[in-house]
Amino acid sequence: MSSAIEVKNLQYEYHDGTKALRGISFNIAEGECVGVIGPNGAGKSTLLLHLNGILPAASKVDQSVKVMGQEITNESRGIIHQMVGLLFQNPDDQLFCPTVFEDVAFGPQQFGKSPEDINQIVFDALEHVGLAGYEHRSPHHLSGGEKQRVCLAGVLACKPKVLVLDEPTKDLDPRGKRELKSLLQSIPSTKIIASHDLELIVELCPRTIVLDKGELIADGFTVDLLRNGELMLTHGLEIPHCLRHLHPHN
Amino acid sequence: MRHDFIDRYSRIESPVHQLSTGFKVSAAIILILCTILLPIHSYGYFILISICLIGVSIISRIPAKYLLSRLIILEPFVLGVSILSLFQPKGEIIFVTILVKSSICLYTIILLTNTTPFSKILDWLKVIHIPSLFVTILALMYRYIFVLIDDAERMERARASRSFSTNKRQIWKIRAMMIGQIFIRSIERADRIYSAMRARGWK
Repeated sequence: MSSAIEVKNLQYEYHDGTKALRGISFNIAEGECVGVIGPNGAGKSTLLLHLNGILPAASKVDQSVKVMGQEITNESRGIIHQMVGLLFQNPDDQLFCPTVFEDVAFGPQQFGKSPEDINQIVFDALEHVGLAGYEHRSPHHLSGGEKQRVCLAGVLACKPKVLVLDEPTKDLDPRGKRELKSLLQSIPSTKIIASHDLELIVELCPRTIVLDKGELIADGFTVDLLRNGELMLTHGLEIPHCLRHLHPHN
Repeated sequence: MRHDFIDRYSRIESPVHQLSTGFKVSAAIILILCTILLPIHSYGYFILISICLIGVSIISRIPAKYLLSRLIILEPFVLGVSILSLFQPKGEIIFVTILVKSSICLYTIILLTNTTPFSKILDWLKVIHIPSLFVTILALMYRYIFVLIDDAERMERARASRSFSTNKRQIWKIRAMMIGQIFIRSIERADRIYSAMRARGWK
């Protein structure tokens, strides 16, 4: 299987000199679903921003990340943005248009689709996330769960090959979480999910990467890693309840 | 939260709300231009326009109290400048004229924003080929006013819940720091929004 994302010795330093990533390497094959976990400030969000070409800034060309075999250069950035759909942590940062329709249409518009295509794409994307008929609502009148799903529709409308999600279940109630989970399961593309919601990771991702202080600590089968109590506790995590006991949980 | 404090009545039904956006916006712009450009002594015009505006407000079914309260909130910004005119010869007439003219202009805008949803105004601006960057900035501004207000409200509530001093001076000192905080947060948020825009292909 060819790799969707290839990261080789990725380093990143913020303007103030804080080292956010210290030489991270991994490969993700097409169709894989990988969880990224780690304590606050481990560098999860920074890593995700690299996968879509938002970081590093335009002036620096970095050879450490390859998407679908393609290096991220200033020329390829446009294609990379389209191939990798990024769902941000805070829906309010991502919903920047006055209506739901315009927000979902934003990506396809940037990629130069015709108005008829855009109408169809937006309709399909909203249908997919279960928000058909929301086209003319304004984002600030939506609930948290609805906002999150509009964000996802906006990302899906770009037809990405890889889906990168930063804390997708944050601020969602249990029903919202359940719906999002089954929604994500229905999307066949390669997925990378960063989250503190370890139960979500266990359910969705067969493989997990553990980050701490900008370093890659472990990379392996989710169940093996998350059952390792010592590993979890040293890196600010814990064994999720569903792996603690052997009795059935559903 | 009060998500509708700017244009609370922009989505109700009335004959005025049903008029086309293009017509309403152009009428408002022409009206404002005429009001600004006419000389001081055009009393007839001022009276006529005021009667027209009052007529439109009645047809639009927006409560008069609401419209007047908006006007009173906005008026000080204009009056602050026009007060300077009192210090010149015949200043009183100039002052009254500025007061009348600014009230007519502000009232026109208040009526426009409360009879037309903002997204429709933006659509119309795109149709008449206003540069898209300018329309985008307006759209972002409208979108994030509400987020900022929410932010400020949450902060103020958090402050109130933890401050036990009733000393006005002390409270305003903290509020001043909060304004700075909101400013810094806005800059950081702007960064994140820009990232989100780029992530979906914005150049």
